Amino acid sequence: MKLRVLTSTMRVQMKQSFARPMYRFCLLANPILNTIVLYGMYRASGESNFMTYVILGAGLMGLWGCICFSSAGDINRERYSGTLALIFATPAGFQSIVLGKILGNTVLSLLTLVISLTAGVLLFGITPVLEDPVYFLIALAALILSFVVISSVIACILTLSRKTELYMNCIEIPLELLCGFVFPVSLLPSGVRAVSYALSPTYAVELLRMSILGVTDRTLFFEKLAILMGLTVLYALFSILLYRRIDCRVRIAATLEVA
Amino acid sequence: MIGRFFEQAYLYHKGRSAAFNTEEFVLMQIGYPLITLIFYCLIASYSFRTTDLTRWVIGNAFLLCTNACVFDMGRIFVAERYTGRLRSIIAAPGSKIAVILASGVFPMLFAVCASVSGLVVGTVIFGVSFKGISLLRTAVAILVAMTSASAFGLFVSSFGLVSDSMHLILNIVSYLFMIFTGAEFPVSQLPFFGRVIAQFMPLTKALYAMNMLFEGNTKYFWPCILAEMGTAVVYALLSVAVFYFAEKAAERNGRFDMF
Repeated sequence: MKLRVLTSTMRVQMKQSFARPMYRFCLLANPILNTIVLYGMYRASGESNFMTYVILGAGLMGLWGCICFSSAGDINRERYSGTLALIFATPAGFQSIVLGKILGNTVLSLLTLVISLTAGVLLFGITPVLEDPVYFLIALAALILSFVVISSVIACILTLSRKTELYMNCIEIPLELLCGFVFPVSLLPSGVRAVSYALSPTYAVELLRMSILGVTDRTLFFEKLAILMGLTVLYALFSILLYRRIDCRVRIAATLEVA
Repeated sequence: MIGRFFEQAYLYHKGRSAAFNTEEFVLMQIGYPLITLIFYCLIASYSFRTTDLTRWVIGNAFLLCTNACVFDMGRIFVAERYTGRLRSIIAAPGSKIAVILASGVFPMLFAVCASVSGLVVGTVIFGVSFKGISLLRTAVAILVAMTSASAFGLFVSSFGLVSDSMHLILNIVSYLFMIFTGAEFPVSQLPFFGRVIAQFMPLTKALYAMNMLFEGNTKYFWPCILAEMGTAVVYALLSVAVFYFAEKAAERNGRFDMF
């Protein structure tokens, strides 16, 4: 039953998201434009492998952009169309519907990785290099899980705000900066790096990079994977706690129209 | 007449900022753009393997205006349509361009503030030195660049009359600034047609003038500034022509949208 709710919400969400021009920009244009900008910046760097920072970086920026402007804003869109209270009170469960929406968005948003790769190959003749495809798939699965949980936390927090548009605009670049999507986090000052390593996508990005270049130290790979999974579980618990608090608050106030 | 212009400008600003408190407004107009500046400067420091980030601090400080000049200005018609004022503006006997320009006054002021803040932050974080740099020339370059970007934003806003996908258009335009103005990588890296497009973009000449100024070469400063002013005039005239065309089309067709 829950699975049916999830799959049907995912299907509807994908259609709704793709119908929005802003999402189409994030999904289709953003990875191409990011690939062009990053290639321009990395072209003179002496870097021979453009997969790690240009292709992967542009794809990840696109993916995160899609999540910011879809998963984070979906609650606000439901509020705007007057359906938030209905999906909150539905017997199918608010959490299942929100999870279905996030899964739908995240799965569709993975297309950004393919688009940035295609743009890199077609526009700049970048040779695709992937040394360890199996490790890459493991890292990608961990990244998806991590993004789904983070989206869930953000969606939760933004349920109680009317300023969703402001916040979803303000979370895009900071996370890309802190998690080292397009440069290594070692470049950041130590104080900021501490914040980076408290964020699960930092480990996911490092794992993806390791798998592209070839995993030479398996212990290190699985250590990072374990930390990533640990953080993801922590975020998931936090998300569940938040949902319970919000549920309680909404029932007491008898309204979702709060700010 | 002048009093009404500034009153209208203030009302536009009030309408745009009323939903936010001061901290949120500053975060949106200055804080977030500054994080963006830091993000791209960090990419540059890694990709260009350099510690001298002067040209990227200048480039990205100028790009900070896109938030105000492109997004705020570009959404004018979308906002007017949304609030139901488009009919009044088109049908009113008064000057349309004055009404439209009024909405650009505060975005331009914020653009200047953001750019100056960008240069200050660049000086503090990335050690950009203003020693021996003419502050008057710097101020002139910033003002001319922002005027040019605002005129371009005004021109782009007219697309709001022919398209309902302004979010998509404005986001693509913001990337065109990054690719073609030389803010993120030298214009000389672009292919021939890209270099031609770069000359038609606002900011390109002002950025070149600023970079020359910081390199101690003032020979081409004023010619570049004049060329940038020329770009501003061309886009302003184009905007007037498009608004005139839109007005005539609205009178002829009895409709306020051309899509």
